[in-house]
Amino acid sequence: MTMSFRPLLRRRIASAFVAGALALCGIAANAAGLPAAYSPLVVEPAVDKGRFEFDLGPALARARRENKRLYVYLGASDCPFCRRYEAFLGKNAGELVPHFKPWIVVDLRSSLSTQADKLFIRAGGKSLAYMDFQRSIGDERTRMLVYPSVWLFDPQLKPLMQMPPGTGTFETVEEQLEILNLVQ
Amino acid sequence: MNSPIEPLIHRRRFVLGLGALPLAMAPAARAAVGGLPSNTGHGDLSPEWEKLRGQIFGTRPIDATSGRVQLIAPLRAAYGASVPVKIVSHLAQTPALYVKRMHLLVDKNPSPLAATLELTPEVGQADFETRLRVDEYSHVRVVSELSNGELHMDSRYVKTSGGCSAPPNRDSPELIGKTIFKLPAPPKMGVPTTADLTVIHPNDTGFELNNVTVMYIPSHFVRTIAVSYAGRKIFDADVDFSISENPTWRFNFVPRAPGELRAEVTDSKGQRFIGSLQVG
Repeated sequence: MTMSFRPLLRRRIASAFVAGALALCGIAANAAGLPAAYSPLVVEPAVDKGRFEFDLGPALARARRENKRLYVYLGASDCPFCRRYEAFLGKNAGELVPHFKPWIVVDLRSSLSTQADKLFIRAGGKSLAYMDFQRSIGDERTRMLVYPSVWLFDPQLKPLMQMPPGTGTFETVEEQLEILNLVQ
Repeated sequence: MNSPIEPLIHRRRFVLGLGALPLAMAPAARAAVGGLPSNTGHGDLSPEWEKLRGQIFGTRPIDATSGRVQLIAPLRAAYGASVPVKIVSHLAQTPALYVKRMHLLVDKNPSPLAATLELTPEVGQADFETRLRVDEYSHVRVVSELSNGELHMDSRYVKTSGGCSAPPNRDSPELIGKTIFKLPAPPKMGVPTTADLTVIHPNDTGFELNNVTVMYIPSHFVRTIAVSYAGRKIFDADVDFSISENPTWRFNFVPRAPGELRAEVTDSKGQRFIGSLQVG
């Protein structure tokens, strides 16, 4: 009797593992990236010969069409500080989402192993490595690539404000609103 | 005339005095939603400032509303070790009344008095720009002392951190001490002319970790800068590691005839550097 039950038990345990794993994957998928409430335009990198290229072209085209600004977020799938900022946005979505209306939120999905020399941004027909891109737009954050990072652009890719490294200085509603209102 | 060592002694006292602050501040600590302090308005005071104020200025009144001096600094900086600040004086620099001294402070830095500038009317217009290390969310302040003894202040709250422990640049150690002048625009005789002074120097704070040896890098920073034109003093600066690496100052001077713009620089290891530029 006991023997005949074992395969069934194994199958149930295996099913439970699979279900658990799928559930975890689901959680992970939901956890990495900006909350859906912000209707982010998700941009995955095009990977070629060790280069991870994020194309801002479609986001810029949409920004010009809709006459909106771009809130470009660079997060990494394995970055705890990214999860913290995303959780903050998720928790305060009710209060913050209306203030994001003039913005198109762009979610560039990277990983911590993608460092400055491997990360490329394509915009305006050019693909530039992180540091060159930063120099080209006059951003002072050239010295190191920090995850997460946020850029604020007008539809012509003109930075609207010099941003700090990381998101740690705007993880309260009041401070996030300072950023959206371009308080300098 | 003050002894040149006096500001150094004062600075040491500020640093030592600040060591006792965490205990002293605890009962007065206030918090806002999100764990932020509540005194984050640009014009707000801070416990650190209250202490510094007494040490530097005693009971002398300081006018924070006159608009005689303005401090421009970003609310958030791209890099805590290099926060751009600009001091604008809304006062003509005349022999009758001029900005005689300026104190630049970062309330919460380990050494809060970043710079003390001794000015002459030769500056023409007492505006300065430099870059600061800001170690944690803090007020940055400038206090201008006029030749009639009045004190005027402006302040900005800056949200950044890590400025005193940021990894240093060590690309060209052989250039340490190189002192360079640049004029952004051609000089005009008899009117304030803008000049940029850069000293190539790591300005090590002593709080930076060498990532290879995992040892703290000993402090080594520029202590004094004396700038003159044609033999006449423009300004003297007593500075500290709260100024960013490769200390840079934009200032004005009034060339009345062709002459030499000259800077004499000393650092905390007693090294002396000189830079000059022929003007006109």
